[in-house]
Amino acid sequence: MSKNFFEVKNVDFKVGGKTKVANVSFAIENEGDIICLLGPSGIGKTTILRTIAGLEKIERGTIELKGNVLSSNQKNVEPENRNISLAFQENSLFPHYTVEKNILLGADRNKDKKEKNLNFQEIIDLLDISVILNKFPHEISAGEAQRASLARSLITNPDLLLLDEPLSNVDQSFKEEIQEKLKKILKSSKITTIIVTHDSYEAFYLGSKCGIILNQELKQFDDPYNVYHLPNSIEVVNFLNRGILIPAEVTSPKSLENKDLGTITGNFNKPFPIGSKVKLLVQPEDLHHDDQSNLKFEVIDRKFRGTNFIYTLKTPSNLLIPVFVHSHHIHQHEENEKFGIKRPIHIDHIVCF
Amino acid sequence: MYKFFNIWFFFSLLVSIFVIIPIITVFTSFFEETSNYYELLKNTFLIEYIFNSSVLLICVLVLTFIIGTSSAYLVSFFDFPFSNFFKWALILSFAVPPYIYAYSLTAFFENYGTAYTILKNLFGEGNYNQHIPKFDGMLGAILSISFSLFAYVYILARASFLYQSQSLIDLGKNLGFSKFESFYKIVLPAARPAIVAGLSLVAMETLAEFGAVDFFSINTLTTGIYNSWIAFDDLAFANRISFFLLLFIFALFILENFSRKNARYHFNSRGGFKQKEKIKLIGNKSLYAFSYCFLIFFFSFLFPLLQMMYWTIKFPENLFNLEIFELLTNTLYIVILSSSVLILFSLISNYGNRVSKNKVLNVLSTLSISGYAIPGVILAIAFISFIAWFDNSIIKSLGFDSIKKVFIGSILGLVLVYFIRFYSLAFNGIKSGYEKINISVDESAYLLGYSKRKTFMNIHIPFLRNSLLFIIILISLEIIRELPITLILRPFNFETFATTAYISASEDLLEAAAVPSLFLILIASLFIIISSKYILRENDE
Repeated sequence: MSKNFFEVKNVDFKVGGKTKVANVSFAIENEGDIICLLGPSGIGKTTILRTIAGLEKIERGTIELKGNVLSSNQKNVEPENRNISLAFQENSLFPHYTVEKNILLGADRNKDKKEKNLNFQEIIDLLDISVILNKFPHEISAGEAQRASLARSLITNPDLLLLDEPLSNVDQSFKEEIQEKLKKILKSSKITTIIVTHDSYEAFYLGSKCGIILNQELKQFDDPYNVYHLPNSIEVVNFLNRGILIPAEVTSPKSLENKDLGTITGNFNKPFPIGSKVKLLVQPEDLHHDDQSNLKFEVIDRKFRGTNFIYTLKTPSNLLIPVFVHSHHIHQHEENEKFGIKRPIHIDHIVCF
Repeated sequence: MYKFFNIWFFFSLLVSIFVIIPIITVFTSFFEETSNYYELLKNTFLIEYIFNSSVLLICVLVLTFIIGTSSAYLVSFFDFPFSNFFKWALILSFAVPPYIYAYSLTAFFENYGTAYTILKNLFGEGNYNQHIPKFDGMLGAILSISFSLFAYVYILARASFLYQSQSLIDLGKNLGFSKFESFYKIVLPAARPAIVAGLSLVAMETLAEFGAVDFFSINTLTTGIYNSWIAFDDLAFANRISFFLLLFIFALFILENFSRKNARYHFNSRGGFKQKEKIKLIGNKSLYAFSYCFLIFFFSFLFPLLQMMYWTIKFPENLFNLEIFELLTNTLYIVILSSSVLILFSLISNYGNRVSKNKVLNVLSTLSISGYAIPGVILAIAFISFIAWFDNSIIKSLGFDSIKKVFIGSILGLVLVYFIRFYSLAFNGIKSGYEKINISVDESAYLLGYSKRKTFMNIHIPFLRNSLLFIIILISLEIIRELPITLILRPFNFETFATTAYISASEDLLEAAAVPSLFLILIASLFIIISSKYILRENDE
């Protein structure tokens, strides 16, 4: 019996006989933890949630909740008997009931359960849906339907809550506010949650652990900091798209050399023999701007991101290197201008492949 | 493999086999012996049957296209006096089956008929008969069928016009098109699949029409089938003619399915749709539009209704001679029984398809809805042929008593053939209701702890309630109007309004046919008025 609250062991997730994600293993150690599954559209994230909810069967591996096997090739607990709630990405509200009735149907599920983590009003306030309670699903917007669906899932007081792109239709202006409230309420009510999203910022904010699903595999399952700073494969780097891989040669246990950037020092995430030709991950925040530096490259693009600029620099070897600069930096650099990089270059986590 | 062989699979298989029996029977008839009548007909009347059926088909198609599309265009795009009334009044023509229209047409225009009486009352005695046009024979049949069936084109064309976004019309204006150019170049092509679908339904009904063509003594494939059975007692030959008719029908069936699939492209989603603003007609234009729609309404509905009312009042003895109460209970009895069976089986089939997600089941369901394309005459005769074969070859050889009486000339047989004929109506109606329920709704219910049964009872049934009501009304309407199946398979002395009207008319007692016809029109109109909101898709507006 597993000591983890929830565990997926060596499961092939299939839909219609076709394998979407193979040989997946991950666990949620404690009740109330939130984890996020991140990956591009169509990769099989939803299939994983549907399988955990019992809507798809498995032929290999096991899925356990609170030490009980829910799915294996021998056993399949029906969805209605799992006490797992899934909020679908699309509108899955009952079309002939009002939003309020839809949500209250969710409350019926655990009406006999003594311990109630969340009440109706709390959820309505959290998701700001009091004005649509008397409306029918066809009378509300996609974002409102998504929040109503989320409310219905939350109120069921499930052992495990599964959220499929829960905020994909919610307006950007409202999204961060809901993310904060959602995280707070899930934590305070100790609802164990798996969130599927393709928004890495959302995943890094909400999840205590993040799983990256790529090419039919769970590539990495780690805390958000490690996923971002210590990606374990080139696929994860490419998926997160927050840096570039440049050629370099390992010159000592703490340094390497690149033709354009010169010597780079730091701590390797894993040891490489001296003299190895590697690909070094350079993320925008790894390099620092210095007007006085004699290491200068041409600016070919500048992206304004509110709090910062991301400059794209072109090196003599035609590498395109991103550099992060605070937006309150004293002056800006235009395209085709020269842009100085502070030396010596030191990167805390040297990630090489 | 075990996945295939569940209860839903067996159920759908059973229904499909049952529905497909008439088709198999018709096709196997080619290997059977027939009487000399076949040889005689093959070289003579068969060509005439095919020719007459083709002429009838083409003329009806042209007329229903003109009437249906033009009236749908007027009520969809323009605002004129009573345009909202005509919107639903034009579908009342469904309440008048072609054979009753045929009786009215003859009654009005025949020598010394109603037209003569009117002229005599207005202008005194005179030799009016030679000046009154005679709408009988092929012309009468074409007019009767067209005015009765144009509503198929009207309903589908109107629905398509309704879903055409204002943006499309604006685009036409932007390109500098006049109203006529917009209609011709934008509106009509966009509605084409819907109009073709409507015309396909008209075509299938025209080829299947029995009452009106029989009344006007036109030899078509349908009457040929009936006569070879009734006059020559040659079931095998009846089935052979059915084969030719089925070839026509299948070609149309494919066309209809094809155009229906295309029609989906014209249903805009919520996002891009912009409600049309109707153009308000004033002055002469308004008068022309009103007059046009009124004339169609008058000729398609008021004319036969008034004619039947006139005769009922003129010959009141027919009203008292008729067992109205018995006809009503008989009609309601088969209507309730058939719709209950149809709804029950269609619900089970649809639910089975939904929960099992089995592709083979889907194919079986498609097969089992093909019954609606097969004319009632063929179904009835093929059913008799099959029962006769089954009884002789299997039941009797096993030493059991004959089962013919159980199925032929019995309520059971009647309901079974209605089932085959109208199964698609019930199945597709429920299916389109189900299509509006996203599958994730079911899954949400399971995840909320609902069992499959509870999901069906608490989620599906309340949602499908309106669809079910509409389907029941539609089936009732069809059964009330239905003639050949009832005529051929009804138990001895079991009459409905339709069969009573037919029998009186075929005995040249048109006045006597008026009372049952009038009741039939009134009951059917009532059903149409109740369900008009759904027929016109007002709920989607």
